[in-house]
Amino acid sequence: MANARKLDKRRKSIRNIRKITRTMELIATARFKKAMDRAAAATDYTRRITQVVSDLSAAGLEVSHPLLEPRPDPKKATLLVLTANRGLCGGYNGNALRLALNRRNEMVDKQNIATTVDASGKRGITGLKFRKVDVSNGFTQFDDQPKYSEVESIANQYLEQFITGEIDRLDVVYTRFISVAKQETVVETLLPLGQLTDGLAPAATEAKSEQQAIYEFVPSAASILEEVVPTSFKVKLFKCFLDAAVSEQIARMVAMKNATKSASDMIKSLSLTYNRARQSQITGEIMEIIGGVEAMKS
Amino acid sequence: MSTATKTNVGKITQVIGSTFDAEFNEKSMPAIYNAVHVDIKVADGKTQKLTGEISKHLGGGRVRCVALGSTDGMRRGQDCVDTGAPVTVPVGECTLGRVFNMVGETVDGRGPVDATEHRSIHRAAPRLDELSTSTELFETGIKVIDLLTPFVRGGKAGLFGGAGLGKTVILTELIARIASAHGGYSVFAGVGERTREGTDLWLEMQETEIGKTGRKVIEQTCMVFGQMNEPPGSRLRVALTALTMAEYFRDKTGKDTLLFVDNIFRFSQAGSEVSALLGRMPSAVGYQPTLATEMGQLQERIASTQNGAITSVQAVYVPADDPTDPAPATAFGQLDAFLYLERSISEKGIYPAVDPLASSSRILDPQYVGERHYTIARRVQTTLQRYRELQDIIAILGVDELSEQDKLVVHRARRIERFLSQPFLVAEVFTGKAGEITSLADTIRSFEEICDGKWDHLPEEAFMYVGVIEQAEEQAKRMAKS
Repeated sequence: MANARKLDKRRKSIRNIRKITRTMELIATARFKKAMDRAAAATDYTRRITQVVSDLSAAGLEVSHPLLEPRPDPKKATLLVLTANRGLCGGYNGNALRLALNRRNEMVDKQNIATTVDASGKRGITGLKFRKVDVSNGFTQFDDQPKYSEVESIANQYLEQFITGEIDRLDVVYTRFISVAKQETVVETLLPLGQLTDGLAPAATEAKSEQQAIYEFVPSAASILEEVVPTSFKVKLFKCFLDAAVSEQIARMVAMKNATKSASDMIKSLSLTYNRARQSQITGEIMEIIGGVEAMKS
Repeated sequence: MSTATKTNVGKITQVIGSTFDAEFNEKSMPAIYNAVHVDIKVADGKTQKLTGEISKHLGGGRVRCVALGSTDGMRRGQDCVDTGAPVTVPVGECTLGRVFNMVGETVDGRGPVDATEHRSIHRAAPRLDELSTSTELFETGIKVIDLLTPFVRGGKAGLFGGAGLGKTVILTELIARIASAHGGYSVFAGVGERTREGTDLWLEMQETEIGKTGRKVIEQTCMVFGQMNEPPGSRLRVALTALTMAEYFRDKTGKDTLLFVDNIFRFSQAGSEVSALLGRMPSAVGYQPTLATEMGQLQERIASTQNGAITSVQAVYVPADDPTDPAPATAFGQLDAFLYLERSISEKGIYPAVDPLASSSRILDPQYVGERHYTIARRVQTTLQRYRELQDIIAILGVDELSEQDKLVVHRARRIERFLSQPFLVAEVFTGKAGEITSLADTIRSFEEICDGKWDHLPEEAFMYVGVIEQAEEQAKRMAKS
């Protein structure tokens, strides 16, 4: 039977861990709500802007824009990995990193694309460094509430690089928020944009069929398109960041909940072992005393 | 049993369990450790000779004896004959191939042995200047033993473990590996274990050949049993009987002798039972106050001298999986190498369930095993140690929360852990895998490559029950196919 004092010490340290994980769970829950609200608000905006774009295309215009043109033989690409700044969120960072590495290897080895890797979040940056992957741009300014202005500046950089031909493709690895119970780590190609409606909620297409709004474009549909397409990219990228932030909080919530539970289980089993050890120690001592007394009698 | 002492007859005055008191003439008291004989009438009218050993003088002419057989049928007032000498057992080549009980009688049903020499089971340990000082590694072909707890030729190795962890299996495996490739003699002492296991071993030895000589292992082996059903006196002394026979081979033939003891804990346990019956005050955890003395006297005799070597492997039962229990604790210090079998490892299905961190060997030292072997053994241990430290964190937070470096450690530790398993020769019928004898060089190379990360890509299961690392690779391929 193990040493009772050692067991007690271990139990105490696990109790402390449980305190931390429980607090983190509560914090994550609160943050998740806020992030969720922001994401929901952004979804509405994204939906609206998509609707505008689809209406534009429905207006019978010849849609042509450099961001929309597919580049059949990409030579250079950037892979942006969205991870968290902090750990203690289960497999959230690990999954994103794993997918990113697979994607990168595929691009470099099979498709012969020179790929640069950008990462957001400290965990992702260090994780990639450990695996000997160079991170050309690391962003650590995004927390659970990414700001649009900050995302926009990054988006502008990518847009510029894409238009000048520095990159032919932009892939984003992030954790897509589907519902509270389900998040999925995905790779999404944001540049070239491809179909405008691509990747957005089916609600948008539904809305199109339901109500055919008639717009009048001033000064012209083409000039509006010029405005809307880059914005659509920025919004999409922003959405990725928002989704990642929500998913992170959910992942943390779930991970901490499990951690608290397993810590409780461990404390329980340690308590049992401890009590047994203590009891057997006492029994042993009593037996020795009684044995001694008995032996002295005779 | 000379005629002069025949006259020294006492009367039995008291029988307490497996000890009895006798009264002799105060002027011709039998000495301590002398054997006495009592004829006991058993049920069907026959008489049976019971041997006792004087262990205490009570004052007056009274002596207290430990019975070395069953005291059933003993009465007060019976005659008790002093033999004038301690228990003696036959020694020599004639004992080979035979099975004895504690008092040196054969129990294999092939009649008594014709021995030219008898020796007392109580003897002094070899003197300081007689001991051999050479230290040489003893290869067993079992990876975990050769790498982490290398045995010493002419040294003592202990197998510690709780109930049902496979001590006896490892011991029989070692017999199968060592004795079958060994030119010298082997002595097996069955101390307080199951009779069935003894019989199994006996039968197996009759079948196993020594190398390719066509001779059977049993021809070079003698076996001594004092199993669970025997009274404590017998279990207490049976190890000495076996040891006396082994000592003869060492001293007279000069050949390397192997001594296997299963299980040394029963020796301490029997000592505790006897001690209580003799009325000694119990000491820690109820053991006899003379626990360390008894163990020391036995272990010191298992020694290698300049004449010859006794290499001994002993199984030690660890009660309630508590290695701090006084009985295993006193045995710890006597050994050159000890293997600690751990329940949590056997629960993972990894056999031999040797705990690579709790086990150690005196000669795991660059001076004896070489720098490379030592470095790799330490690397393996460090990796496993780190993994064990991380276990709590993994249990609470999950493996994803570890740093990248620690994840790699865990990744390799889990593979090392599984690679420490090995199919056994004696377990072929159970595992369906042929036993693997892995040479020391292969063992070292395999572990070095795992530590270097050469095999990180193989799945964990591929490392289970293989010999050298290349077999793990093959197993991985087979697994991928199916």
